[in-house]
Amino acid sequence: MSTIPSATPAGALYWPVQARRNIGVRSLFVVVLGFLIAYGVLFPGLFTASGFAKFTQSWFPLALVAMAQAILMLTGGISLAIGATVSLGAVIAATTMAGPLGVAGGAAAVAVTGLGIGAATGFIVVRLRLPAIVVTLAGSFIIGGAALLVLPRPGGSIPEWLSDMLAGNTPAAFVILVLIVALWKLYLATPLGLSLYASGENPVGAYRSGVPVDGARIAAYAISGLLSTGAGLFVAAQTGSGDPVIGTAFTLNSIAAAVLGGIGFLGGQGTMRGALAGSLLLSLMISVMFFLGFTPVAQYVAQGLIIIGAVAIPQFRKVQQ
Amino acid sequence: MTTTAPLLAARGVSKAFFGNPVLRDVSISLQPGRVHALLGENGAGKSTLINLLSGALRPDGGIIEVDGRAVARMTPALARQAGIAVVQQELSLTASLSIAENIGLGAYPRRFGLVDYQELAARAKAACELVGLNEKLSTPVGQLSLGRRQMVEIAKALYRKPRVLILDEPTSSLSATETRILTDLLERLRSEGTAILYISHRLNEVMALCLHVTVLKDGTCTADRALEGTDASGLVRLMVGRDPGDLFPRWQAPPSPANAISVRGLSAGLMHGVDLDIRTGEVLGIGGLVGQGQEDLLLGLYGAIPARTTSAAVNGAAGLPAGVPKANALGLAYVPADRKREGLHLIHPILTNMMLPAFARLPALKLRSRKAERERGKGLAAQLGIKGDLGRPAQALSGGNQQKVALAKWMPHDPLVLLLNDPTRGVDVETKREIYLMLRGFAAAGKAVVLLSSDTPELVHLCDRVAVVREGRIVTTLERGALSEEAIVSAAMGAEKQKVAA
Repeated sequence: MSTIPSATPAGALYWPVQARRNIGVRSLFVVVLGFLIAYGVLFPGLFTASGFAKFTQSWFPLALVAMAQAILMLTGGISLAIGATVSLGAVIAATTMAGPLGVAGGAAAVAVTGLGIGAATGFIVVRLRLPAIVVTLAGSFIIGGAALLVLPRPGGSIPEWLSDMLAGNTPAAFVILVLIVALWKLYLATPLGLSLYASGENPVGAYRSGVPVDGARIAAYAISGLLSTGAGLFVAAQTGSGDPVIGTAFTLNSIAAAVLGGIGFLGGQGTMRGALAGSLLLSLMISVMFFLGFTPVAQYVAQGLIIIGAVAIPQFRKVQQ
Repeated sequence: MTTTAPLLAARGVSKAFFGNPVLRDVSISLQPGRVHALLGENGAGKSTLINLLSGALRPDGGIIEVDGRAVARMTPALARQAGIAVVQQELSLTASLSIAENIGLGAYPRRFGLVDYQELAARAKAACELVGLNEKLSTPVGQLSLGRRQMVEIAKALYRKPRVLILDEPTSSLSATETRILTDLLERLRSEGTAILYISHRLNEVMALCLHVTVLKDGTCTADRALEGTDASGLVRLMVGRDPGDLFPRWQAPPSPANAISVRGLSAGLMHGVDLDIRTGEVLGIGGLVGQGQEDLLLGLYGAIPARTTSAAVNGAAGLPAGVPKANALGLAYVPADRKREGLHLIHPILTNMMLPAFARLPALKLRSRKAERERGKGLAAQLGIKGDLGRPAQALSGGNQQKVALAKWMPHDPLVLLLNDPTRGVDVETKREIYLMLRGFAAAGKAVVLLSSDTPELVHLCDRVAVVREGRIVTTLERGALSEEAIVSAAMGAEKQKVAA
C-alpha cells in the first residue's frame, strides 16, 4: 500500500466522524437526561454509591440485550431468540459455576454457548439466505427448549461471592458495561466492524467493493449471541440461581430499546450509543413510573405510547422540513 | 504506447441467461492510455460485458485476458488485484458512513488491525481532490445530492489507483460542471496510462472524450474501430443498425393553446415564488442543473408534496390539487424518474402495473374483471409498442420498456396534463425516439406535456418552450425561437453565462 502524498494535510478524521454520529441522537440524549433528573429527584438515593450500583445493575442486562439486538438490526437482521438465549445463559451459569468447572469454567461455557449459537444462527440466516425473523423465531423454540433441558425448573446456584461482586453494593456492572462499550468502539474501528454498516444498508454495493459481507454478518450474530448469554449470566448472578424462562421478556424489550435508540429496521441506520441510550431510557421509564405509583397495566400502556411517540417525533420533523 | 499488450481484454466471449443469448462472440481490448467507448442500446449486452470483464459473471465461452495472459477463472477479487475498478450505474455507497469511510470501503488501510483513519483521510482526500469533491470527509454520504454521490463513487474507484477504469453511464446524474470535471479527469488519467472504458448514452460526450469505440447490437459486436472519422449520426446508425433519420420528430406550431395550469407565487420544496403557465397542445420543457428543485415543481403541481400559491388554476378549478387522487381527478398524471422505485411495482406483472391507476378509480369493493383488464392491457401494449407476455413481472423488461409501462398506465384516463420526470434517462436511442414521437403526439392531441429533462438536446428539439430552473426559481422561459443548448446551459449556470456563450 503506497502512500499518496497530499498537498494539504487531511486533518483528523476519526473524531469528526464520531461527532457526526451524534447528530441523530442528540434529542434522545436530552430526553434521557430529563428522565435521569426526574429519577434523581424522585429517588435521591441514586447519588449514593449503593443507589448508583443498584440502578446500573437494573439497567445492565437490558443494555446488553439492546446491544445484541442493535448489532443485528444494523446488519439488516433481527433476532426473536434473544430472550431464550438469555435464559440459556442463565441456566448454564447456574448449573456449572458451583460445580467442578468453577466460575471461570462456567463463564467460559456461557461464552462459548453464546458465540456458538450466534454463529450457527448467523450461518443459517446468511449462507442459506433465509429470513432472520423466521430462523430466530424457530431458534427461540429450540434454544428455549435447550434451557428447559438443562434446568427443568428454577434452581442451581451461583457462588455467593460472584453474586455479591456483580449484584452487590459495587459498581462492577457499570465498570463492565464501560468495558464492553470500549470493546465495541474498538471493534467498530476494525475493517470488519465498520463493514457492518455497509453490509446492512447496501449489501450488493459492499460486496462489489470487496467487503466480506457474509463474514461481517455472521460475526455480528456471534457477538449478539455472546452478549445475550452474558446478560443471562448476570441475571443468574442477580437472582443467585437459574430460571429457564427468566429471559423471555428481553426479546421484545431489546427491540423496544433499539427502536427507541433510533436503530432502523432496514439495516445500517442508527448507532450503538443510540441503542444504549434507548435501553437506559426504557429502564428509567419503568423505574420512574414505578415511583410515581403507576399500576403495572398503566406502565405497559405508557411504555407503548412512549415508544410510538419516540419513533413518530423524528418522522414528523422530517415531514416538516 | 498503442502497440503494447491490452491491460484487459475479452476474446470471443459469449454469455446466455436461461438459454437466451445475451452476448455472442464479442471481443474487446482495453489499451493503456486510451479512452474506449462502449455503445449500444439498452439490452444490447453492455452491462453483461462489464460484468464479465470485472469477474462478476463468468463467460459461457471465450476468454478474459489480463496483461495478455488468459485468466482461467475471473472473480471480483482477482479483478481488484489486477487493478480493475468499475463505477456501476447503481451506487455502491452506504448513506450512514462518511465520505472517507465509503471511499475506502473494502480496502481500508490498517494499523494494528484497526482502520488507520489518518492514512484513510490522506488517501481519500487525494481521491476527492481529483474529482473536485470539497465536502468535509466526515460528511455522511446520505446528506449529499445524487450528483455528489456519483462523484464519491468515482473517487472510490480512483482511491484504488486502478490501471483499468470502467465507467457505466457516469454522467447520467451529474451537472454540467461536474461532467466537465470528470471529462478533464479522464483526460488526465488517460495521459497517465490508465485504460478507460466509457459507457454513455450521450454521444457528444463520447465524441469529445473517446478515441476508440466498440458498438454492441443485440449481443454482437457491430463495430470495433477508431472514432476518428465518424460522427454522431454514424454512431447511432451502428447502434440501431439503420439510418436513424432525425432522432426528434419534426416540430410543428401548437394549435391555439389554452392554459391548462396557471400558477402564481408557487412554493413547494426547494421551489419558491414560481409563476408558470402550462398550455394545452404544447410540450413545456423544464431544464437546469441537476437538483435545483425541478422535481419539487412537478410534485408540487401534482399535489404530492405540500405547496403554497398566491393563486392557481388547474383545468378550470381554482387552487392546486391537495393530493394525488385529486390531481388525477383534475386530469393530471405524473411519471416519476425513478421507475424502479416510484414508477413501477417491479415484482408484479406488467398488466397489474398498467391497471394500477384504474384500480384507484374503481369503487373499493367492486369485483375486478380480469377479462376487461387483459383486453385493455393488450390495447395499451399495442398502442405503446410494449412487446411480450403481459403476465411477466415488470422487472423482466428493459429500462426503455419499463418506462413505456410507466407511461401506459395513465393512458386509459386520458390525462389532460402529463408531468414527466426525465422519462428518457437511461433509455436506449430507439425507445427514446418512440417516446419523443408519443410526446409530440400527445401535444398534437391537445394535451399539455411537461417534460423535466436532464438531456439538453431533448429540451431544444422537442419542446415548445423551456423553463430553466436555478436555485429554486425559474430564471428564464425560452420560447421556441430562442431555444439552443447554449441558451439553456448558460441560463442554468447563471454566473458563468459569458464563459459558456463564448
